[in-house]
Amino acid sequence: MNDALRRYPALRAWLLLAPSFLWLLLFFIIPLGIIVVYSFLQRDVYGGVVWKWSLDNYRRVFDPLYFKTFLYSLWIAFLTAFFSLLFGYPLAYFIATRPEKTRNALVLALMIPFWTNFLVRTYAWLTLLRTNTGLINVWLMQWGLLDKPLPLFGNTFAITLGLVYGWMPDMILPIYAALEQIDHRLLEAAEDLYASGWQVFRRVIWPLSLPGVVAGTMLVFIPSLGAFVTPAILGGGKRLMIGNVITNQFLGAHDWPFGSALSVLMMAVMLLATLVYFRTGGDRAGQGGL
Amino acid sequence: MSDASVPAVELRDVVKRFDDVVAVDHVSLQIAPGEFFALLGPSGSGKTTTLRMIGGFELPTEGEVLIEGEPQGYKPPYQRPVNTVFQNYALFPHMTVAQNIAFGLEMRGVPKDEIRRRVGEMLNLVRLSGYEKRRPHQLSGGEQQRVALARALINQPKVLLLDEPLGALDLKLRKAMQLELKAIQEQVGITFVYVTHDQEEAITMADRIAVMNHGRVLQVGPPPEVYEQPRTLFVADFIGETNFIPVEVLRVGSTVEVLTAGGARLQAGWAEPSLNAGAPAVAAVRPERMWLHRPNTAPEGGPWNRVEGIVRHVIYHGLDIRYEIHLAGECSLHVRLPVGRGDADVFQRGEHVIVVWPSEATRVFRRDS
Repeated sequence: MNDALRRYPALRAWLLLAPSFLWLLLFFIIPLGIIVVYSFLQRDVYGGVVWKWSLDNYRRVFDPLYFKTFLYSLWIAFLTAFFSLLFGYPLAYFIATRPEKTRNALVLALMIPFWTNFLVRTYAWLTLLRTNTGLINVWLMQWGLLDKPLPLFGNTFAITLGLVYGWMPDMILPIYAALEQIDHRLLEAAEDLYASGWQVFRRVIWPLSLPGVVAGTMLVFIPSLGAFVTPAILGGGKRLMIGNVITNQFLGAHDWPFGSALSVLMMAVMLLATLVYFRTGGDRAGQGGL
Repeated sequence: MSDASVPAVELRDVVKRFDDVVAVDHVSLQIAPGEFFALLGPSGSGKTTTLRMIGGFELPTEGEVLIEGEPQGYKPPYQRPVNTVFQNYALFPHMTVAQNIAFGLEMRGVPKDEIRRRVGEMLNLVRLSGYEKRRPHQLSGGEQQRVALARALINQPKVLLLDEPLGALDLKLRKAMQLELKAIQEQVGITFVYVTHDQEEAITMADRIAVMNHGRVLQVGPPPEVYEQPRTLFVADFIGETNFIPVEVLRVGSTVEVLTAGGARLQAGWAEPSLNAGAPAVAAVRPERMWLHRPNTAPEGGPWNRVEGIVRHVIYHGLDIRYEIHLAGECSLHVRLPVGRGDADVFQRGEHVIVVWPSEATRVFRRDS
């Protein structure tokens, strides 16, 4: 046995990979397959599944009612990625430029809030943002700064805020990792070669941090697209994302085939977005020599 | 501007403190235009900090840095007429060779045509024509080194600062690059300030060397002077190989006389001015100045020092043979003799010998310096 392993390194690799492969097969690939199969079936009146092939579910997906929700989800995911990058990049830069000890402490501080359950944290935002009883509006009105409460809740703002809050660490960490690796002497070299502060950023720091930016954007964009907890709570039931519709198909409407079709479509969009993004942004980032 | 009487770089009583640590301690230097000047010292000696203060990457706590007679004050690096070749080159990994070299000119808004022409010239100078499109990670260490040099030189600085530029190269390449760097410096005629911890490198390349230790400049001079007439124990020890013999000072003044632990009296050509008779001291002699004799053939009298010893090791080195000679009083000397003067002149292990050297080649230092 040992000799065989020595002689065929590929066999050894396969043996080592077998457990994770089995795991992925059982709990990822097979369920995914079931969803794909379901999406081509029909529901019966009691919420079960009838084994009759049909493309009806995919036709329904393009019903304006659902398709609009889909576009809205893309818009929210885009906003979330955009604002996470806008606020996350400076923070990542700040952390990456601290002394090593401070750096580690700051990264830890960044993670601490995420040891609390996501649902709890989202409800915490609810108590702050609610239109009439939310703390922000209550205080602002008590201090006489406002006559009418601000529309902080049940809208795009609230959902985006909740998602940016939830996913920003996934933006910060890869950018931080990329920035931290930049050799400080490169910045001195740029300065030595007459680059101003902005030019040093534009020509050296930004291009070298692109791999982190690309990874961070994908890590934020994809889960935001499929989000359902945040819009369910902070959307106040008024603004739905595709994740809510899917949840509803499985739990409320008992239409698993249609829910599956929506899921498959969402995955297809994510896959497409990832491919397109890595083709464009990813290639440029690859110039960082990483 | 490049008036020979105005130093290209001048440091006036420069001090650099980091919190409580004094990195550079009252350093004053004058570097002439066109000079190849080496800052030599072990790590932590303050040589790199000194270089960084000339470049503007650090500002002096006290004192003043002048470039071509102009005080640099708080000027940032990009406002100083100097460029730097960094340790490990600091080439921009996301840019091609040509983009790297063009960077400085681009930042200063030089027209594209001129940039292209001058990048071509620079690639020619460092013998990298045809490498325009490559990226730094596709280059060997020596090639990266030359790109870094071209990237700095294209800006036609008054002074080029080099921070251990050959430190990352293997020995053979380093030797080749030493010659090449020296040739390029002579060709472009720019003042080079060159930081290194490699004494051999400093000796072979520099017009003058400043030896630094603990933030201070201990000695400045052309390589032969620093090598042959070290003025402190540290310089004698750091540069080249030296034999040290613990002694007691008998007489100072026009003639210097010392006594070894083994009881031999030695004459010396020079002693540190602060030494007085009776003080403990160290006599230093370069191994290549010493000769070995069998007891019956040793010269008598004359300007020679003589000590008796026993051959402990004989090491054949090709060009020469190195002997380790054990003296009375727990001291040993290294002696180098050229090979090929006949078998009679090869000494055997355990043989009783007399070590002989000219007394003027003996320099006496304070023990604590």
